Amino acid sequence: MMDSLISVAPLLFADAGANNLPYRIPIHPNLVHLTLGLFIVAIAFDIVGALFPLEKPVFKFLAIPAVRSNLFDVGWYNMVAAAIITFFTVAAGFYEMLTAYIPKSATSSWGLGAMDTAIWHGLGGVLILALIVAMTVWRGFQRYLWRQDRAMQVQWSYLLAGLGIFALMFAQGTLGAHLGGEFGLHVTADQMLRLGSDPNTL
Amino acid sequence: MFEYLPELNEHNLPYPDTIHPIVVHFVIAMVLFAVLCDAIGYFTKNTRLYEVSWWNMSFATVSIFIAIIFGQIEAGLADPYPAAVGDLNLHTLIGWSLSGIIAAITGWRYIIRTRTPQHLPLAYLGLDGLLTAIVLFQIYLGDKLVWVYGLHSEPVVEALRGGAL
Repeated sequence: MMDSLISVAPLLFADAGANNLPYRIPIHPNLVHLTLGLFIVAIAFDIVGALFPLEKPVFKFLAIPAVRSNLFDVGWYNMVAAAIITFFTVAAGFYEMLTAYIPKSATSSWGLGAMDTAIWHGLGGVLILALIVAMTVWRGFQRYLWRQDRAMQVQWSYLLAGLGIFALMFAQGTLGAHLGGEFGLHVTADQMLRLGSDPNTL
Repeated sequence: MFEYLPELNEHNLPYPDTIHPIVVHFVIAMVLFAVLCDAIGYFTKNTRLYEVSWWNMSFATVSIFIAIIFGQIEAGLADPYPAAVGDLNLHTLIGWSLSGIIAAITGWRYIIRTRTPQHLPLAYLGLDGLLTAIVLFQIYLGDKLVWVYGLHSEPVVEALRGGAL
């Protein structure tokens, strides 16, 4: 079985499995958990920090001691971690895009073909990486220079930009979900079905 | 009775795409980052990172229950074929267990934070290590369900509906 699969897999690597990868589980979607989780929580905690005066009674009611500057610490450190990890997310994404089998005929529920979806997702990835890095630099300036002595560590425009990036991430994430869940890129069972074998024989 | 339920799409879902893998961002990333912050905080004595860790663990604790709700819905609609059943059951079992484990660890953290916020017991760091191992294994199982067995992916749903699987 392996011989017939190798012939349809791109020749960028040796010993691809049925999923067109030299390993069993794609790496990019796992790093995506980290990128999105860290970024979204960073912005979320900056928002919690910004609205802190309103939340004081809530924290008190829950008997959870909260210090405003600590909430902004989460906003900062999570954002730095998101920026670092996302270089790897994008790198893994590009490798796995190059090794993927891209079907020609099907269209996604957004009306895009697999190649178009992959290209938009690739462009979106580079754009979002740049935005995350820019947000981190902006956040660093606010934290260590412009607002060092202010109780309110972030600008409203920064939080608004963060929410805008959430929207981009939603679109990017849905395109990524289409690549895996609709076109079956790197999904072992989908690739086996395409080639007429039974995933129960995995 | 069933005619009142929403129709299922080509992913066998009543909504466009799977939600569980999105909600688990906030368990996976927050737990792993909390553990990293504990480790860096412990060795560099930067206790500010302990607070970052605590807030991330709190967020993970809330998130895992939401993740389980969607996980349970999507597992129920997954219609796993024989090869996938074992891993789906194990993922379910570990997922529910993790809600207890993460909530308990966060509970202990709450007490540590109240009593000795500048100091983390070594046993807690040990638990961090154990938690990381369980989470990584759980991620591996979830990855298998999506990327190996393709549950809720269009080709697999189509094959299941056509009786080919």
